[in-house]
Amino acid sequence: MAAVQETIDAVAALEKYEHGFTSDIEQEFAPKGLNADIVRFISEKKCEPEWMLEWRLAAFERWQAMEEPTWASVKYEPIDYQDLYYYAAPKEKDGPKSLDEVDPELLAVYAKLGIPLKEQEVLAGVQGAPRVAVDAVFDSVSVVTTFKAELAKVGVIFMPISEALREHPELVRQYLGSVVPVSDNYFSALNSAVFSDGSFVYIPPGVRCPMELSTYFRINASQTGQFERTLIIADKGSYVSYLEGCTAPMRDENQLHAAVVEIIALDDAEVKYSTVQNWYPGDAEGKGGIYNFVTKRADCRGDRSKVSWTQVETGSAITWKYPSCLLKGEESSGEFYSIAITNGRQQADTGTKMVHLGKNSRSRIIAKAVSAGRSDSTYRGLVSVHPKATGVRNFTQCDSLLIGKECGSHTVPYIEARNGSAQLEHEATTTRLSEDQLFYAQQRGLSEEEAVALLVNGFVRDVLQELPMEFAVEAQKLVAISLEGSVG
Amino acid sequence: MLKINNLRVSVGDKPILKGLTLDVPAGEVHAVMGPNGAGKSTLGYALSGRPGYEASEGSVSWNGDDLLALDPAERAAKGVFLSFQYPLEIPGVPAMTFIRTALNAQKRARGEDEVSAPAFLKLVKAASQSLKMDFDMLKRPLNVGFSGGEKKRMEILQMALLEPSLLILDETDSGLDIDALRIVADGVNAMRSPERSMLVITHYQRLLDYIKPDRVHVLVGGRIVASGGPELAHQLEAEGYDQFLPEAA
Amino acid sequence: MNAPVRIDLKDPSSFPSRRVEAWKYTDLYRWLRETPPASPEGAVEPGGPFAALGGEELTFVNGRCDGFAGIVAEGEGLTPVRLRFVSTAEGAGHQARVTIDVKPGASLTLLESYEGPARGYVSNISLDITVGEGARLTRVIVAEDAADAIGISQAHITLAHGATLHQSAFTAGGKLQRLETQVEHPGHGAFVRLDAAYALHDARHADLTSVVDHQGPDGRTSQLTKGVVHDTARGVFQGKIIVERGADGTDARMGHHALILSERGEIDAKPELIIYADDVQCAHGNTVGSLDQNALFYMQQRGIPFEEARALLTHAFLMEVVDRVEHEGAREVVREWLTARL
Repeated sequence: MAAVQETIDAVAALEKYEHGFTSDIEQEFAPKGLNADIVRFISEKKCEPEWMLEWRLAAFERWQAMEEPTWASVKYEPIDYQDLYYYAAPKEKDGPKSLDEVDPELLAVYAKLGIPLKEQEVLAGVQGAPRVAVDAVFDSVSVVTTFKAELAKVGVIFMPISEALREHPELVRQYLGSVVPVSDNYFSALNSAVFSDGSFVYIPPGVRCPMELSTYFRINASQTGQFERTLIIADKGSYVSYLEGCTAPMRDENQLHAAVVEIIALDDAEVKYSTVQNWYPGDAEGKGGIYNFVTKRADCRGDRSKVSWTQVETGSAITWKYPSCLLKGEESSGEFYSIAITNGRQQADTGTKMVHLGKNSRSRIIAKAVSAGRSDSTYRGLVSVHPKATGVRNFTQCDSLLIGKECGSHTVPYIEARNGSAQLEHEATTTRLSEDQLFYAQQRGLSEEEAVALLVNGFVRDVLQELPMEFAVEAQKLVAISLEGSVG
Repeated sequence: MLKINNLRVSVGDKPILKGLTLDVPAGEVHAVMGPNGAGKSTLGYALSGRPGYEASEGSVSWNGDDLLALDPAERAAKGVFLSFQYPLEIPGVPAMTFIRTALNAQKRARGEDEVSAPAFLKLVKAASQSLKMDFDMLKRPLNVGFSGGEKKRMEILQMALLEPSLLILDETDSGLDIDALRIVADGVNAMRSPERSMLVITHYQRLLDYIKPDRVHVLVGGRIVASGGPELAHQLEAEGYDQFLPEAA
Repeated sequence: MNAPVRIDLKDPSSFPSRRVEAWKYTDLYRWLRETPPASPEGAVEPGGPFAALGGEELTFVNGRCDGFAGIVAEGEGLTPVRLRFVSTAEGAGHQARVTIDVKPGASLTLLESYEGPARGYVSNISLDITVGEGARLTRVIVAEDAADAIGISQAHITLAHGATLHQSAFTAGGKLQRLETQVEHPGHGAFVRLDAAYALHDARHADLTSVVDHQGPDGRTSQLTKGVVHDTARGVFQGKIIVERGADGTDARMGHHALILSERGEIDAKPELIIYADDVQCAHGNTVGSLDQNALFYMQQRGIPFEEARALLTHAFLMEVVDRVEHEGAREVVREWLTARL
């Protein structure tokens, strides 16, 4: 990936700091590699309290003792963790000077998605394009200010996690790492040690968040680094819908992404978390794409709490992601709705874990995978019922659609029932795009690509319906774009 | 005689029957009519002892026995038969095996002799003929792949063979065309006798053209709000349930 | 691809623990860490569960069968071969490797049984089976290891074009029992039926693991496993269907359905589809639960007491697998065998 190379070149000058490196807070870059000093540097840059630094250092220590997981059905060149930058603010001069210099193919995609020119500049990383000046980018006049006022009125806290660490340290300290423990897995340990920023959300008891926390984050997204950290706390009886990501392919300088998202839902709280992930998938040979190793987990610790994950995964060279629910509360409920589309050389290993600990907890999984080109897609999921969890119900549906002879599609569910009153149902199918249907649509005048888009959209419809309206329309276009050139 | 007194039943947290009182003397056919959600099916389930439909208050006695103290199979042995609105499919269990097992279990519970296989076969053949049912259907797993009409006929066949004394018909006409309805009604009418009581639960009056009730009760909001002769059913058909709904009161 | 873990009782390093993915739910290492004492020779009377069906009897007692040099089937085998594995040595271990070759165009009915009656043994059987072009193998297995014994049977079956494999396994488990079947499926008109049923009581454990690897076009596989667990028993089903690149036209169906009839029973299932070809029809279904409460109520309403209704439904549930056994004699033997274990 050119951008990665550019960054590497641009920051190469900083190598001199490698020896005798000190925590200079004026310094915008940390040198390559990862050690305890780098962790200290990041913490210091963020003006973090002492306990946070200790927490990061402990995570770093755990990470060093861990091994990178190999069980997923993905293949990639080994990552040299000492050859990466863990703190490097993006350099303005890296980007193209205007949209004229941007890859025309990328612009064509933006045009198809109907993205305004100004926003295109931001996405493409054009120099001087506004990064936080929201009002210049989006339709609304001053989104941030409007949002902040409105949210503050109902007591919703929504800010970068670095800011929350300073303004609401007690909340962060109570919940950070309580869902995804530092040592949960290799990538979450790494994230805990070096995360740069992310979002913090707190919804007070009984509050229904008056808006979808979406647009704001979209702006934030262009600033968040490769190790994003998100913490969402829905207090008793509250509700929030949170949207992450962007339908447009993001120009991104970091090849490795290892985000962690933690959600806590207390009694009667409900969180709806929607993701559209369309990062750079790499070139035709699969070179340069993003490695997306994400840990997302919700702790439904309250009775009757509910968390719903919806994801549309179309980007990244490698996706390794299992948004999960720990269903601890009685009558708590977890949902996972997923569309994973892989084309070219992409590899996706994604799914969910529904861990039923609470009585009468429910879960529902609908996963749709579409594989084309020479890509490989795996649904990997766990539904487990603990001995004391009576009255558990689960329904799982995994459908795979294959387009072309060189792709792969796999379904690997684990079902573990240790209570006699559980009712678990799992269905999976693998089929190819129906030639009869394709022909039928073409006979009625659709081009082959239009016909494929139409049929695939039909295939994933159950999940698209779960997306908030504004995302759903874009996601539908995205489905079509992701599969261009997959037939014929 | 069936005596229901102040019956209260909640399903989950929701009260459905709110103090229902009703008597059906031996030999009589009573219709219970009501709008959707009035508690009609709940009444059938509560009388037959479906788990989750337990009474929180009130009493039900059938020929002097306290029905509420018995489990569903014991109630069946006392003669209670619920014809289901949606009869269940039982994969892997042939209809004949099912009915014979039920018949003999009931006989055992009553201290009667069980029916031998050849005698049973004879009974089934006769009963299926009078209901115009293909005998081969009885060799197939019970209700699996049967049409709605076939399932209802299978209910009536079971009724004819089990010879219950309290018949509860829950929306027996739903999903039946006129011909099937006539056959089913004939089957039910053939069961009328001075010892039997029947409770016909229905939304529409149509069924009552075929199974003539002695009394008609109107069930609204979990209670009997009106009772009368067969003419009440016609009145309901003409005027609807609106007059009985709380808003109208 | 997916080479099975080969266990050699003489080599404890070959005993898989749950850290080995394919043995995740059957932790042999937990129960067996050292080579068990070797079983002595033993002798048993002819018989076994399929005795009434006649045919040829081949009995391995404690892993030994004098003069046995493999089974070779030629022509149309009208009489079945009863292959028995009997363990008579208490607290000892034995293993055997059996080769079976069904020649092109031939057919063989193999009635296989894993019988105790000793306590605390370790039995490790591996079978290498080839089924030639257009040939047909019917394999009916009943397995019941002692409640404190470990029984492992691993079959590796290679089919040629146009071959047919009908396998039905019925088991009551053991302390730790695993029946594993690996099938090399060449497609080209070959057909595999891979069925199983388990009925487990007390603390018994049965693991039914299979891998069907479709390597050529137009193969068909139909797989149905059903099971019930009582008490603290544990049923494990791992079924993997692979469709390799170029194996177009594959039609593979896999179903696993289990009932937990106690508070503390456990079912672990991992039905996998690994697909590398697009023109395929593959599906799996998996259900775990208790009996249908509505059906139970319906039966009770007709006067059938709860226990009887439950038994009737459970019986009907498992008999679907029995009904798929084509060999009439074996079918009735298995029906009786399984009914006695419900």
